Amino acid sequence: MFERFTDRARRSLTLAQEQAVFLGHDFIGTEHMLLGLAVERDGVGGRILQEVGLDEDTLRAEVGRRMPPGAALHLRPEDGDALAELGIDLAQIRERVESSFGEGALPTARTGKVPFTALAKQALESSLRSALALGHNYIGTEHVLLGLARTEGGVAAEILDDVITVGDISERVIMKLRGMGHTG
Amino acid sequence: MRNATKAADQAMSKDPAVGLRAVAALRRLTESLEALQVANARARDWTWQEIATALGVSKQAVHQKHSNRVPDQGKA
Repeated sequence: MFERFTDRARRSLTLAQEQAVFLGHDFIGTEHMLLGLAVERDGVGGRILQEVGLDEDTLRAEVGRRMPPGAALHLRPEDGDALAELGIDLAQIRERVESSFGEGALPTARTGKVPFTALAKQALESSLRSALALGHNYIGTEHVLLGLARTEGGVAAEILDDVITVGDISERVIMKLRGMGHTG
Repeated sequence: MRNATKAADQAMSKDPAVGLRAVAALRRLTESLEALQVANARARDWTWQEIATALGVSKQAVHQKHSNRVPDQGKA
């Protein structure tokens, strides 16, 4: 699926992951994808967001308000050593926890990658459908924006809903593309 | 065990990098345990209010933080 994404759209997804980690979240949700679009500000998606007042800083504050930071749930592989510095034996704690709640009850995060939520995956599929509906054979930041707006129940759709309708986004996308080549 | 023994034998490092890393790890440990215990409490039909009281935070805070992570078995 990702091979159809433009460079900018792809970069916005990498940025989404960075934003998730930065906010201390251990998942990529639609809100992080929206932030990724805003950070990739020269894309059609990012430009539309700026036009409706959702620049990077505004959006980050909005996401932080809706999804409190510091929600990183998982221990990291290096935490055992770090806790030993305080005299805390993580292995022993894990053993106690797992004997009551089962193996893996106190999971350790794989380093690096954070997974997409179900809604974020839905938004990616919706981006593809949005591109096809417009007769485009690539997925640009504008289609990702449309996909996010159309993913009901997602935090991104909630944020967008407050300032712009899906129809209005569509119109802006078509107008922008008319004035330029396909560089979404 | 090796690490625990080492820590018991030695004073805590004065290196801020070491100290801050330990604090961050401790925070992740508390967050993990909190999520686990909240899920356990919900599975045992505790209300958000009861959980909030036990944690010493507001019901809003605990609900906002955990409701999207814990399967919602009831409306409370």
